[in-house]
Amino acid sequence: MTAATYDDHHLAPPRQGGAWRLLYRAGFVRAAWMFCLFGAIGFGLVVLIRWSGGWQPLFKMEDITLVSLLVAGPIGFLAGIGAFDYWVYYALGFPTRPEDHSGHGARSWRDYFRVNTDHKVIGVQYLATTLVFFVIGGFLALMVRAELAKPGMQFVDNQTFNGLFSVHASLMIFLFVIPAFAGLANFVVPLMLGAPDMAFPRLNALSFWLLPIAGVMMLASFVVPGGAFACGWTGYVPLCSTHQPLGAVFFNQGVQWAGASSIMTALNFLVTIITMRAPGMTFWRMPLLVWANFTTSLLVVIATPFIAGSQFFSMFDHVMHTAFFDPNNGGYPLGYQHIFWFYSHPAVYIMMLPGFGIMSEVISVFSRKPIFGYRLMALSLMAIVVLGFSVWAHHMFVSGMASWLRVPMMITTLLIAVPTGIKIFSWLATMWEGKLHFRTPMLFALGFLSMFVIGGLSGVMLGAVPIDIHVSDTYFIVAHIHYVLFGGSVFTIFAGMYYWFPKITGRMYDERLGKLHFWLTFVGFNLTFFPMHILGTEGMPRRVSDYAPKFAGLNMFISLASFGLGASVLVFLYNMITSWRNGPIAPSNPWRALTLEWQVSSPPPIFNFDEIPQVVGSPYEYGVPGAQHAILAPAPVREVEEVGAP
Amino acid sequence: MRRGSIASLLGIGIVAGGIAAAVALALPWLPTPASREASRIDFEFWFVVTICIVIFAIVAAAILYSVVVFRAAPDDESDGPPIHGHTGLEIAWTIVPTLLVTAIGISSAIVLSNDDALGKNVLRIDVTAQQFAWTFSYPEAHGLTSATLMLPKDRSVQLRFTAKDVIHSFWVPEFGQKQDTVPGLHPTLHITPDRLGTFPVICTELCGLGHATMRTTVVVMTPAAFDKWLKSQSKGATPSSPSQAGKTVFTNNGCGACHTLAAAGAAGKVGPDLDKLTTYAKQAGQSLQDFIRTSIVTPNAYVEHGYPKGVMPQTFGTSIPKTQLNALVDYLAANGTK
Repeated sequence: MTAATYDDHHLAPPRQGGAWRLLYRAGFVRAAWMFCLFGAIGFGLVVLIRWSGGWQPLFKMEDITLVSLLVAGPIGFLAGIGAFDYWVYYALGFPTRPEDHSGHGARSWRDYFRVNTDHKVIGVQYLATTLVFFVIGGFLALMVRAELAKPGMQFVDNQTFNGLFSVHASLMIFLFVIPAFAGLANFVVPLMLGAPDMAFPRLNALSFWLLPIAGVMMLASFVVPGGAFACGWTGYVPLCSTHQPLGAVFFNQGVQWAGASSIMTALNFLVTIITMRAPGMTFWRMPLLVWANFTTSLLVVIATPFIAGSQFFSMFDHVMHTAFFDPNNGGYPLGYQHIFWFYSHPAVYIMMLPGFGIMSEVISVFSRKPIFGYRLMALSLMAIVVLGFSVWAHHMFVSGMASWLRVPMMITTLLIAVPTGIKIFSWLATMWEGKLHFRTPMLFALGFLSMFVIGGLSGVMLGAVPIDIHVSDTYFIVAHIHYVLFGGSVFTIFAGMYYWFPKITGRMYDERLGKLHFWLTFVGFNLTFFPMHILGTEGMPRRVSDYAPKFAGLNMFISLASFGLGASVLVFLYNMITSWRNGPIAPSNPWRALTLEWQVSSPPPIFNFDEIPQVVGSPYEYGVPGAQHAILAPAPVREVEEVGAP
Repeated sequence: MRRGSIASLLGIGIVAGGIAAAVALALPWLPTPASREASRIDFEFWFVVTICIVIFAIVAAAILYSVVVFRAAPDDESDGPPIHGHTGLEIAWTIVPTLLVTAIGISSAIVLSNDDALGKNVLRIDVTAQQFAWTFSYPEAHGLTSATLMLPKDRSVQLRFTAKDVIHSFWVPEFGQKQDTVPGLHPTLHITPDRLGTFPVICTELCGLGHATMRTTVVVMTPAAFDKWLKSQSKGATPSSPSQAGKTVFTNNGCGACHTLAAAGAAGKVGPDLDKLTTYAKQAGQSLQDFIRTSIVTPNAYVEHGYPKGVMPQTFGTSIPKTQLNALVDYLAANGTK
């Protein structure tokens, strides 16, 4: 059977009509006016309720901004861009086609800027969007380092400084690391499973479009009166509820939109992985990347509602004067921290497990050896999921919580080092006696291994309560989190982007620039973050705009190194953009990998597999003579159903 | 595995461990302890660091050895040996780390329980944290308050914390101990100072715009000097001059953390410069005395241009007794002449 063409699948008819059609056709024009319309409805609703209740002042900016700009407006935007079209038509009784593929696939660059149901397009949308926020978040970090280059105040005031590091962390966590992994997995997981798409393509599209809303919301807090939210990404109450300007609400709501996106994507992954595996693809034949996203999605679905709750209650305390966490009215401030960390500690693994998956793929392929101890690798992921929910209070050893809770939480925290250690030793054993090829993804994998070990070991130190009491809330923590999330997660994201670049774009990236990027990042990263360990143990607290003169030398050194680290990202972006435009055409399987995504063309056909693959073995049988992961047999001719079509 | 490869792996491991140990020993990590708790924390720190260095050396050696020895030739398209696992090895790297972290857990729990155990003849001190100042009060000396923490050497001290507004955190790096102060709760912290000297008290929990300036000092003195200080302060309750009384109120309430006032040696930059009070009062169109009193009691009534509203605590009207408030207003009016 030949490749399916667009007409076979009822893609969009050629566009026609005058400029006036732009107004009601799904797209950015309709999104703009519907944003305004829904915003106006939200505005009217607040004023009407306040008027009918006789409350003064009638036009209360805080409530109007919240309802109109942060809730109703974004829903209007989503409706305008077309994220709800199919469901609205269905609900209103208009004719719909369940097999409608008019929003599937990309024929020109414009198709990346609309609601698209193709998991490959959505993957690219995710990656491009998250890279934009990565660059912005990095720029905010450089402004923080510029202010900290010397003791005393240089460029910004305290409100701006606190806003800079708060928005930096929020963007990097909620708009870069978590969704960048979701983007890579979106592209790769259905291909690895031998599936034509995700289980719920329209939900998948909606999940993506929630993301820019969250990012713009967090950035927009810089321009509201009073300044950006300035209480750190942890948003501890009561500072972040009753003691903050309006910007705090932008954080509360931004987290809701990003969190909703996360939950929907995770549900989609779970259903896809459970129900859409190709024939023969048992759980024990799934690539470890799929295992990693399966376990990550479990974490997301179970944990994310907790941060949603914590942010709602904190916001209610701020806007509606409830007293969930307000000690003056019977609230319990530590309750916030417990709920927040019940999500945010598992979130550390949400930001790490998909990276573990990428590492397993990259290290096995570039070592030309089967992954060492496949089943224990998968089981250790599950162990991390289970243990991950029992360690949250190690963020609260000095918080004033019940002191008996400290020792049990210390024990579980230390134990979680065991499955993590198993993974590291297994990767080392995978490389042992292999045939190592040092392409850019492999370099980032080796960088990850060495940096993540340092981050993991400093994590063991933090797990020990007496040490944590000394270094809690100091630069030691800043160093630790960056060794885990930058040396760990970001290195794996880079590895993944280089590894699948040929598959995603159909072109090869520039290997020399890739290696240059790796070395600049590796050296810049260590020069920037290693000295922070010393600052912390010696006595410099984190989140301060000013510090004791004795720390001046190290801080200047860190700031200079951080600018070098920032510059390394330019090499990466240049490589990605020019290679996508002009790179040499990529073969379908440049890395000689066995997993399914490499058995189809680069980029893959519009519905991934023209033949349904029959999985017959493990995905890592390198060096086994004649071993195969899957046979791509001719599939039965597929009839496209037209249920409910006119 | 060949004997030669074991030897070179061991060699690389020793070199990597040696470098890591050199980094650990050559750099100034922890401040010199000034309390018994900090000495125990130091012990635990180095105990865990030693284990970490060994593990780091093993991993670094394995990576470096693989990079050098198992590098494939550019045109080598062959695969490595199909090794799928080794049950013995996998059990080993599950059991050994479990034993190591168990050892860390047990030693930490012992250190923790020793650090929390109060000695005899405990000196109890009430610590109040507010944006952005610390106040220490000594129930033993009939509620004597001070903005500087004065402690006798070698006596068990229990700090009991109260937070007036948001969460703060009390930390003295040389003492190793740290405790968040939470509104509505009264957590305690135990310290036994064992070295004379003056050390910084640092707020380590982000508490607002003036967080970086929420600092004071702790002075550890001999028991004799401490008793002498207590007596001199108790006498000072009826201060010699009115200006001295105002200055004491200014210092004890931590005003200098945020405000500049040359007469009190304060150089805070969070709030308006109090040397210029006369100018501000003119801008607000009030008499100097009224302006100062209003600004302390209801800070949001007039906020000097360029400073955010709602930062100054609104509790001073009730927390400072009337006589002290009068003394403070007089003191500020006399010194804020610019």
